[in-house]
Amino acid sequence: MSTPLFLIVFPLLISIILLFLKNNTARFGVVVTSFFVLSAASIFLAAEYFKSDMQFLTVPWEFTNHAILAAEILLSLYVLFTGIRNKQKLVTLFAVIQLLPLLWFEFKGPHIEIEHSFVVDRLSVVMALIIGIVGGIISIYSLGYMREFHEQHHKEYKDKRCFFFFVVFAFLGAMYGIVFSNNLRWLYFFWEITSVSSFLLIGYKGTTESIRNAFLALRLNLLGGIGFAAAIIFLQTRVGILELDKVMFSPKAIVLLPVALMCFAGLTKSAQLPFSKWLLGAMVAPSPVSALLHSSTMVKAGVYLILRFAGVLEGTLVGFMIALVGGVTFFICSCIAVSQSDAKKVLAYSTIANLGLIVLCAGLGTYEAVWAAILLIIFHAVAKCLLFLCVGVVEHKIHSRNIEDMAGLIITMPKLSIMMQIGMAGMFLAPFGMLISKWAVLQALVDYNPLLAIFVVFGSSVTLLYWVKWMGRLLTVVGKQDELEGTVHRTEWFSLSALALLTIGVCGFFPLVAHSLVEPYIEEIYHRTVDMGHGNITIMLIMLAMVALFPLSFFRYGKSVKVVDAYLAGANTPQGIDFYNSFNTSQQMHMTSYYMQEFFNEKKLLLTGIIVSTILILISVVSPVC
Amino acid sequence: MLRILFVVLYVIIAPLLGGLMAGIDRKITARLQGRVGPSIFQAFYDVLKLFEKETMVVRRSQNFYIVFSLILVIFTTGLFAWGANILLVIFALTLSSIFFVLGGFKASSPYSFIGSQRELIQIASYEPAVLLSAIGMYMVAHSFNIMTIFTCDKPLYIPLAGIVLAYLFILPIKLRKSPFDLSTSHHAHQELVKGITTEFSGKALAMIEITHWYETTIALGIVFLFFSSNILIGLLAAAAAYFLMIIIDNSFARVKWQKAFASSWLIALIFGVGNIILLSFLAN
Amino acid sequence: MLKKSPWVVHYDASSCNGCDIEVLACLMPTFDVERLGIINVGNPKHADIFLVTGSVNEANKEIIQNIYNQMPDPKVVVAVGVCACTGGIFAECYNVSGGVDKILPVDVYVPGCAARPEAIIEGVAKGMGILEEKRKKLRNMTKGLEELTITQAEISDAAEILYVQHLAFQSEAEIYNDFSLSPLRQTMDEIKEDFNNRTFFKAVMNYTIVGIARSRMEGDICHIGRLAVNPVYQNLGIGKKLLQAVENHFDTAESFQVYTSHQSKRNIYLFEHQGYTWFKKERVSERRERIHFEKKHIKD
Repeated sequence: MSTPLFLIVFPLLISIILLFLKNNTARFGVVVTSFFVLSAASIFLAAEYFKSDMQFLTVPWEFTNHAILAAEILLSLYVLFTGIRNKQKLVTLFAVIQLLPLLWFEFKGPHIEIEHSFVVDRLSVVMALIIGIVGGIISIYSLGYMREFHEQHHKEYKDKRCFFFFVVFAFLGAMYGIVFSNNLRWLYFFWEITSVSSFLLIGYKGTTESIRNAFLALRLNLLGGIGFAAAIIFLQTRVGILELDKVMFSPKAIVLLPVALMCFAGLTKSAQLPFSKWLLGAMVAPSPVSALLHSSTMVKAGVYLILRFAGVLEGTLVGFMIALVGGVTFFICSCIAVSQSDAKKVLAYSTIANLGLIVLCAGLGTYEAVWAAILLIIFHAVAKCLLFLCVGVVEHKIHSRNIEDMAGLIITMPKLSIMMQIGMAGMFLAPFGMLISKWAVLQALVDYNPLLAIFVVFGSSVTLLYWVKWMGRLLTVVGKQDELEGTVHRTEWFSLSALALLTIGVCGFFPLVAHSLVEPYIEEIYHRTVDMGHGNITIMLIMLAMVALFPLSFFRYGKSVKVVDAYLAGANTPQGIDFYNSFNTSQQMHMTSYYMQEFFNEKKLLLTGIIVSTILILISVVSPVC
Repeated sequence: MLRILFVVLYVIIAPLLGGLMAGIDRKITARLQGRVGPSIFQAFYDVLKLFEKETMVVRRSQNFYIVFSLILVIFTTGLFAWGANILLVIFALTLSSIFFVLGGFKASSPYSFIGSQRELIQIASYEPAVLLSAIGMYMVAHSFNIMTIFTCDKPLYIPLAGIVLAYLFILPIKLRKSPFDLSTSHHAHQELVKGITTEFSGKALAMIEITHWYETTIALGIVFLFFSSNILIGLLAAAAAYFLMIIIDNSFARVKWQKAFASSWLIALIFGVGNIILLSFLAN
Repeated sequence: MLKKSPWVVHYDASSCNGCDIEVLACLMPTFDVERLGIINVGNPKHADIFLVTGSVNEANKEIIQNIYNQMPDPKVVVAVGVCACTGGIFAECYNVSGGVDKILPVDVYVPGCAARPEAIIEGVAKGMGILEEKRKKLRNMTKGLEELTITQAEISDAAEILYVQHLAFQSEAEIYNDFSLSPLRQTMDEIKEDFNNRTFFKAVMNYTIVGIARSRMEGDICHIGRLAVNPVYQNLGIGKKLLQAVENHFDTAESFQVYTSHQSKRNIYLFEHQGYTWFKKERVSERRERIHFEKKHIKD
């Protein structure tokens, strides 16, 4: 069996094993082993394919096609059944809308010969590496996290860990399916699996709130799925192509409508603006779920699809509208993130914003923009995942995920807060990944459309605001606090350290990553290379080295300085952090960050964003018809 | 080789120039207020004195951030002198400011905390105008390289008039002048003592001062770039901009941070973005 | 350079505002102290000169102390106006303690009611000179530290020992607001008597005693007591060296014991870092708890 097929089938098998594995130790063994197998296989895949251009694979056609069709019908029936049972009219409706035409075309529609069912190229290799390594690390983290979740913090919820791991691994398999499928029908099938697993995992807790949010997510993803199904029907009946590579290289005029529809599906999956609400609701899920599905892999499937069609979108009105949707999303969600104090919500908004940036690049579709977009995908997957996992641990330890409660985390959880800072630095600081990408985005944008650059300019200014605010909050220490770090599970430590190292590694070796994986892909598709400039890379690496030197200064920690209390207008009590107020009673000092609510009001901004982006999306879908 | 020598020389001279300008600023300010004012070398005396003082801290690691802020700003100045990519220069400068802000947070005093928050808002306020300047320069000179922009023989300030205006509007923020001296200000000591620098004393405070001198030269360096088609006019323009800032400093009261943020974004949006839209229409 | 840029922090203790207005008048164009490089900063951590107007009373005692403690060395205190110098006409009031020198070492007194701006500027200028001297002294101190010697004290040192003891325990007494501490009340004769059954140690720098310690063997246990360092020389590691010297001297002891009060953070920090662990806490007064520390002697 070839590596891509192995990568799809192996997690599915593991998931079935895990469904019936009740023993903690055995589960531990299976998950850890499969992490090593998956990441090794992904790296092997990278080694196998990174030198070659697009390669195709075929599988025994008849049998697999029937199996997938059967699974697809089962899945749709499951969705239909859930919709009916929970009296979710829209879900039921969407499920029916998708099921009936697909069945009709399968049996009565024109038959289209599929030449290649699977494709492997460098973009799928990049995605596979992210899924294998980051996804694997998260599954290991979940071992310790879910244990603590059920055994210490949330005894009220039913322990469904077998089910949890079943869905997680099934999801990983489906993700591999998405990135390797060339047959759009199959891609659609895997796409729907990820929607359903997202639904199942958001509703994992079983509370009213989580079930409501799960259905919200399902509804919006099914809406995207309808777009996808419509695209497939259109391709089948009008164009007669059902293969990804053929659509990618078809004349623009023919495939623009189905591509627009698939991009619509991609926008819902990536939670771009009119659809962003589901990702925010998804934050009720346990942290590893947020990290895996809602920041580093599943939402990336949406941008992956749009990125695939970047060549088609280049220079079209559809592409420009999609880019605008991305730009609006980036700017508005960055602004909203400033006004949020819930750590996971900040992360969610920042995720949507960054996906917006990727969509912006993909919609633009020029070679430089696509180059920047792929780099963004890599950096964002690693750094954001690290942050979600850190917040997960912090939430368990301080029983809050309010950023204000994280004051002094540098004292209470020193190692963890350092990792968090690495993650945040990776998200916005100069020599780290995201900024490298933003730099590339700006370079890419000004050549073609400086107007789009304006979204990036304003958006990245506020990005800095909420990250530094949060970093500062971790550093600010008020009073004496006890260390809380001792009880963090070793699987969690393993995952966090691995991701922190990965973040630094990806940043340090980014010229290598860009050179060996991203640039050849660009060359293959556009026959042009991106040149960052030798000098610029050197400068960035020098900057990275300088920031990396910062921890060294701690060798001089506390030497030749005199420690005094903070200045409190001279009214300090002997305890230092307290002061005497005007009634001569002692009072503790209190500091709260600015949230700038009057500028960045969540409701108003979201409403504006939804209206603007809905119009833009309507234009993008309608314009190819006209 | 000559280029490296120039960079080294520039890095050494820049703070001296910055310090001298700070001295001149105080002298002019004093004269405007009908006073004699200190010597124009006063800024140097102050810094040398601070190096002789004891180092006092609230949190033991707070000064490391300041040291790194200084190192990074020196690096930025070097990049600027080398003629590197202007976006990278801006990002490096922001990184330096962020280290400074984190130092303020680390100091864990209410005054430095509020100063840090305001400094952050200030960074967010001026960042769009600065980045728009870079984009504008690219659109005219077709390169982000400072060297190329510098050697571009077209006068940048004519097509970029709006952007120059937007940049001049945010210049007081970077130079810590009224009406935008929100985060750390000698004049604001009634409300926030010394803001972000409240808890820094001795060497750390001296380093903050030197960092500021470097920042002043970089901020004025960008003004110079706008007018660099003729070096003399460029230098004069930078000097005039600085003089303008002194006048503004003396004639305006400090505004609230809300005003500072809203107005600088608005100006950047109207003049900066307007300028860019106009340019891209003209280019098509 | 201290002379060329003295930054002033001004505190109004309980002045009638007469002197405050004169202080501010110095900043105005007529007098323009900025031409001397003088700036009125609002933050003690940036200041070199502490300008106090008005008399000290019960309510602001701690605040003045706090501000002074938060100024980095070298620093100078200037008392402006007669109230700050002596308490002035308020000296007899029930709530007034007197001049600033009751709680801080005042370097320059500027008399007057209100003090004239010329006088204030003169006072600050004097303060600049003192600042320079203090800086030299501070430098010498770090140099002197290298020549620090710790030896056994003799009975002829008693007077100096008592002086250091009084200075050092002053701050201890302030923490608990209990000035009845025995080290503070000890007399010359008592200390001479102690020489009979205790061993005294002295840390000498530039021919002056800057730190003391005493010890007594009881069986196998060595009791160390009244470890004290002149406040001017604190934070230089002298206490640590004294403690080590005592431990080295009694190499036959099985263990060392020492005690301090519960809020004396610096003492507790020192002991804990020298390998002492607490084994007993006892309440000695309403405000004060005594913590006993012990360290087992590890012999080679």
